[in-house]
Amino acid sequence: VFQQQTTNTVEEPLDLIRLSLDERIYVKMRNDRELRGRLHAYDQHLNMILGDVEETVTTIEIDEETYEEIYKSTKRNIPMLFVRGDGVVLVAPPLRVG
Amino acid sequence: MEVSHSVKERTIAENSLVILLQGLRGRVTTVELRDESAAAGCITSVDAFMNVRLAEVTFTDRQGTVSHLDELFVTGRNIRYVHIPDEVDIRATIEEQLQAIHRVRYFGGRDKGRREFLYAKQ
Repeated sequence: VFQQQTTNTVEEPLDLIRLSLDERIYVKMRNDRELRGRLHAYDQHLNMILGDVEETVTTIEIDEETYEEIYKSTKRNIPMLFVRGDGVVLVAPPLRVG
Repeated sequence: MEVSHSVKERTIAENSLVILLQGLRGRVTTVELRDESAAAGCITSVDAFMNVRLAEVTFTDRQGTVSHLDELFVTGRNIRYVHIPDEVDIRATIEEQLQAIHRVRYFGGRDKGRREFLYAKQ
């Protein structure tokens, strides 16, 4: 609806995101957050609408005695989320573990 | 359907996903802010810059303290997420908003009324 040019070829980086519409994607955000969800819509600011989202927030705690870094992550699920583009760092296909 | 009175804002909204948020007017949902606080309330208005006005707000701050506010204004820059209620049909909402803008733009007919954008001069 918003596309100025509705071509099928990949001409600019945003077109690569267009290829991921309706697919599950991985979004890395600022403040150590990650989202995994289905991309329903996006715009030039990288504002996005994601469905069936899992948000992972990672924190690092320093053990006071051993000074080792303990990585902790908190997850939560949201059925449909509008994400403001200025928080987005990168967009990629979902990472396959193992 | 409330459309902005500003040509600039109409154009910005029409060309970005903010238009979906504008269609959420009257819906109760949660807005999560950049500073980890969250505001749950009824969306009164959203402008082209994503500034949001909410009413009857349950505000949870970073520490988890809950308070109640009759009205809240959130600057667009401070928004991280907006939860979309399950019952919202995203495509239909966006199309309704676009139609509202087009009704305003073409008010008076195609050849009458003040044109928002200039065609090549004949």
